[in-house]
Amino acid sequence: MEKTQIVDLIVHYARQVVPALADHDFSESDRLSELGANSVDRAEITMLVQESLDLSIPRVALFGPKNIGELAELFVQSLHVS
Amino acid sequence: MSPDLVVSALGVVSPIAQGKVGFIDALLGGAHAFRTLSREGRQGEERFIGAEIANLAIPARVESMCARASLSAQSALVVLYEAWEEARLTDVAPQRVGLVIGGSNLQQRELARVHESYRGRARFVRPTYALSFMDTDLCGMCAQQFGIAGTVFTVGGASASGQLAIVHAANAVMTRQVDVCIALGGLMDLSYLECHAFRALGAMGSDRFADAPELACRPFDADRDGFIYGESSAAIVLERAATARARGCEPYAVLKGMGVTSSANRNPDPSLDAQVRAITIALESSGSSGGGIDYVNPHGTGSAIGDETELRALRACGLNGAHINATKSLVGHGLTAAGAVEVVATMLQMRAGKLHPSRNLDRPVDSDMNWVRNEPVDHSIMQALTMSTGFGGINTALCWQAWSLAAAEAI
Repeated sequence: MEKTQIVDLIVHYARQVVPALADHDFSESDRLSELGANSVDRAEITMLVQESLDLSIPRVALFGPKNIGELAELFVQSLHVS
Repeated sequence: MSPDLVVSALGVVSPIAQGKVGFIDALLGGAHAFRTLSREGRQGEERFIGAEIANLAIPARVESMCARASLSAQSALVVLYEAWEEARLTDVAPQRVGLVIGGSNLQQRELARVHESYRGRARFVRPTYALSFMDTDLCGMCAQQFGIAGTVFTVGGASASGQLAIVHAANAVMTRQVDVCIALGGLMDLSYLECHAFRALGAMGSDRFADAPELACRPFDADRDGFIYGESSAAIVLERAATARARGCEPYAVLKGMGVTSSANRNPDPSLDAQVRAITIALESSGSSGGGIDYVNPHGTGSAIGDETELRALRACGLNGAHINATKSLVGHGLTAAGAVEVVATMLQMRAGKLHPSRNLDRPVDSDMNWVRNEPVDHSIMQALTMSTGFGGINTALCWQAWSLAAAEAI
């Protein structure tokens, strides 16, 4: 799966979990925390993406990415490893 | 009891109407919505009869919070919004407002769906399940949405939970923890598992009317064969008359007395002694006698032994002369919400000067009671008593005085 497809997945679930982001024009440099997603929202979004990809990532690894692009990159790498 | 503890606002959702204006019209019109339960997660190996809320209308103010909320939480937000607006609570300091939600294990259908969805793949369960599986999530959602910063908690009393919430909300105001406290009867969202268990226990009907849902719910009738479930929720705002009137709210009624007792019995069978004690305590704390009560809103579920026991308790307390009808015959048994919904029904009948009919009361088990049967009756309630009982041996009784009478006595 390409990184852009995973970015689209993250954006899809971010909009689902935080309805106020429905019309936001996302970019890979966006940080979910700065878009109004609190820690519970962010945990929910990353879990929805993992469920969608049937992929489990250690929680500690999810603390690394600083923005949506880096989060998508983590998912790509984990897909290749699994 | 504080002599001036009043109900200043109401909110309600039920299978026959959403909102108090539609609700009293539907009650007086003898409406019902009994059919085979069809909500997802409520069909097991057999079909169950009950009444469901067809379309819950979500006000714009609570729309965002409702987006990912359970049916119980959505209903709580909806009835709270209605009561909040009527009571003009935006004008009260958030720290002086409290909320007590009656009910435990409210979201059973939602939980069953989660369990089934994530069986064998629990690693993907939503993080928010850690919040949402607890009933206190309803507290959190309501408190955040409306900025309620006084005492906020849930209280469990099975089918007496709604009235128990009123008792605790009243205590919060009387002890001055808050100036205004909202009692909310939470919607108990049954899954097919609870429906099966209630049927297996013999508590839920209906074998007799399996092919005629409209006839199945018949409290106090000779042909009753158990309670019939109905989705509902209600909110009741309690405060002192002075604070209500300062915001321009005309009270519905004064809460005059409260009684809560246990039958010291785990089993579901009712206790005449515990019910009589609850009524007696409520009457004594209100300064009334049984003969002074002119309207009773009973628990009246349609249980074979429960209905008879309750009538014996009312009779033993001298309440057999009071008008009596069965709200559950129209809306079904809301379990945790029932006591609150029935207090709302009592308040609205008080204000309307009319009593709603009781459906399917063809052959009352005690024909000497002063039943309101097929048609509404004109009657201005002056002193009312409302009853609830719940599994766990919990019994509650509340005494109410019409605001018109209280105002005339210049409290």
